[in-house]
Amino acid sequence: MAIHEKTLIDPDRILQHDHLVVDGVDVSGSWNTMITPRTLTDYEEHFEEIIQSYSGGENVHRCWQCGSCTNSCTMYAQNVDFNPRYWIYLIRLGLKAELIKDKDIIWQCVSCNKCTNICPKDVRPEGVMKATAHWLEDNGLTPKTLSTHFDEEFTHQCIEYGRIEDTEVMMGFFKRSGQPMVQPWIVEFGKRLTKHLPLGQLAKMGMNTVFRPKTKSWGKTGEVLAEYVKAQKEAAHHG
Amino acid sequence: MSAQDTVLVVGAGPAGLSAAATIASMGKKAVIVEKEDILGGAPIISGYAKLVPSGEWAKDAIGRMVSRVEGDGNVSIHKSAKVTQVVGEAGNFTATLSNGDKVEAGAIILGTGFTHFDSINKPEWGFGTYEDVLTTTQMEQMVTAGQIRCPSDGRVPERVAILLCVGSRDRQIGREWCSKICCTVSTNLAMEIKEISPSTDVFIYYMDIRTFGLYEDKFYWKSQEEYKTKFVKARIAEVTKSPDGRLLVKGEDTLVKRPIVIPMDIVVHAIGMDPNALNPEIAKTFGIGLEKHGFIDRAEQYTNSQGTTRKGIYVCGAATGPEDIDSSIAQGQSAGSRAVADLYGQQKVAS
Repeated sequence: MAIHEKTLIDPDRILQHDHLVVDGVDVSGSWNTMITPRTLTDYEEHFEEIIQSYSGGENVHRCWQCGSCTNSCTMYAQNVDFNPRYWIYLIRLGLKAELIKDKDIIWQCVSCNKCTNICPKDVRPEGVMKATAHWLEDNGLTPKTLSTHFDEEFTHQCIEYGRIEDTEVMMGFFKRSGQPMVQPWIVEFGKRLTKHLPLGQLAKMGMNTVFRPKTKSWGKTGEVLAEYVKAQKEAAHHG
Repeated sequence: MSAQDTVLVVGAGPAGLSAAATIASMGKKAVIVEKEDILGGAPIISGYAKLVPSGEWAKDAIGRMVSRVEGDGNVSIHKSAKVTQVVGEAGNFTATLSNGDKVEAGAIILGTGFTHFDSINKPEWGFGTYEDVLTTTQMEQMVTAGQIRCPSDGRVPERVAILLCVGSRDRQIGREWCSKICCTVSTNLAMEIKEISPSTDVFIYYMDIRTFGLYEDKFYWKSQEEYKTKFVKARIAEVTKSPDGRLLVKGEDTLVKRPIVIPMDIVVHAIGMDPNALNPEIAKTFGIGLEKHGFIDRAEQYTNSQGTTRKGIYVCGAATGPEDIDSSIAQGQSAGSRAVADLYGQQKVAS
C-alpha cells in the first residue's frame, strides 16, 4: 500500500479516483488521495432520550465516564473494541454515526451484569447495551439471522392467510435471505417426488401456489393479530 | 478607648463582615475600611445570583450580613476609603486612611479578597471579540435579571457552553491553582439557566469536575441527572464564529479521541479567582508577605491559622487563596476571635 497509514484511517474517509487527469497531468490512484477530516461537528441532543425510551436505557444520563463498566466487562477482555463506557458517551452526546460504526459488536453483550453491579452511578450499563441493540434492530441497522428471516415469512403468511403454504414459505424464505431458488437438495427432492408421479399431490401444490388458500372467515383477524404483535414488541422494548 | 479595644477590618466582603460582627459581639470595637462605596464585597459588587450552596439570592444573604454590622454600635464604617499607611506594632497600630482619617487599633484583619480573572487574557476563547462570549459573573447577572438571551441579537439560545478552568490550572498564564468553587458555581448556573429557559441545552466542557464535599450530588449530580446538563471532557482550544452567526467551540473530545467543532449560541467562561490585583500594594502598606501565587501568606497553619507574616495582622477569606463564601465567613469569625483573644492577652500582660 502506497500510504501505510491508510490502515489507521476509516475507509469511508479516504477519497481516491483510480483515473484522474488535472490540467493534462495524470494524478491517478494514490497521487490524488484525499482524506476527509475526522472532526465531529454536531450533537444530536435528543438521541439520549430515544435510547432512554427503551427498556434498560433509562439511567444512561447518569454516566460520568469513570470506565468501571468497561473495566469489568467480560466482552472487553476478549475484544478491546467492546467498550460500553464509550458507547454510553456517544449516546449521551448524540454522536449517532459513531455509535452505528460499532453496530456489529454491540449485540455481543453477554449480560453478565458485572458492569451493572460495579457502576457507582447506577447507570445499569447492561440495560443500556440491551436498549441500544434493540434500537439498532428497530432501525434496521443490524443484519437479520436466517432464523429471523424464516420467522418473518412464516408470521407474514399466518397473519395474511390464517395458515401457511409450505412451498410459499420456502420460496419467501429464500427470497428474504437472498438464497437461490434452485438448490441441489431441492432439485433432488423434486426428482424423487416426480419419480412416482403423484399426480394428485402435484396438482394440489400447483393450485395452492396459484390460488393461495386462506382460512375461512379470516376477515380482519390478521389485522388485529398484527396490531397485537406490534404492541407486545413495543411493550417488551419500551417497558 | 485605647487602641487595644479596637480592631481594624480591611474589606467588607463576606470574610470582613463576618470578622467585624465577631469582634463587636465580643465587646471590642470594629472599624471597617472598604474601598468601594457599598458593602458586601464580590457577591454584591459583581451581582451574583443565587449563592452556593444555600440557594439564597446574594443580595438577601449578604445583605443580612451588611445590615448586621450597620446596625451594630460597636462597628464604625469608612466607605470609599483605603488604608495608605500603617505604623506601630501589635497592640498599637495607627492606620492612615486615604480620606485623611487616622484609626488607632490593636489588631488589623485583612479581608481584602480576590480579583476575578480577566478573560481578555485568554483571547483564543473569544471574550471581548464576540458579544455572545460571557463570564460567569455576567451570566449570573443575566440570571438575576431573569432572562436568558444572546447579547448579540436577543434570541433565546438553543445551546450554552460553559468552559471550566478559565484562568485556573493554566501554567501558560501563570495560574497554577484551582479556583475551587467554579465547578460548583457552573453546575449551579447550568441549573439556573435551564430553569429560566427550558428550551436551552447546557454543555459543560471540563478537564475534571471538582464539586468538592457535599456539592457532589447537590450540584454536579443534580445538574446532570435532573437538569440534563451534558458534560463533555474537552479543553476548548478556540472559540470562533460561523458564517451563520453562531459561535463554534473547537477542541479535542478526549473521551472519543476526536477533534470537535460544535456550534453554540452562548459561551460562558467559568472565570477563576486571581490574587487581589492590589496585593503588591497591600503587602507594602501592611508590611506582610505574599505566597508564591501572590495571595496573602499565612505565618503558620496550625496554631495561628489566620495570622499573616506580621504579628498583630490577620487575614481571612479569599485573600489567602481561592475560597468559597461559607469558608470565608468561618475564617472571618476565626480571625475576629483570634484578634480579640490576642488583644485580651496583651492587656493582661500590660496590667
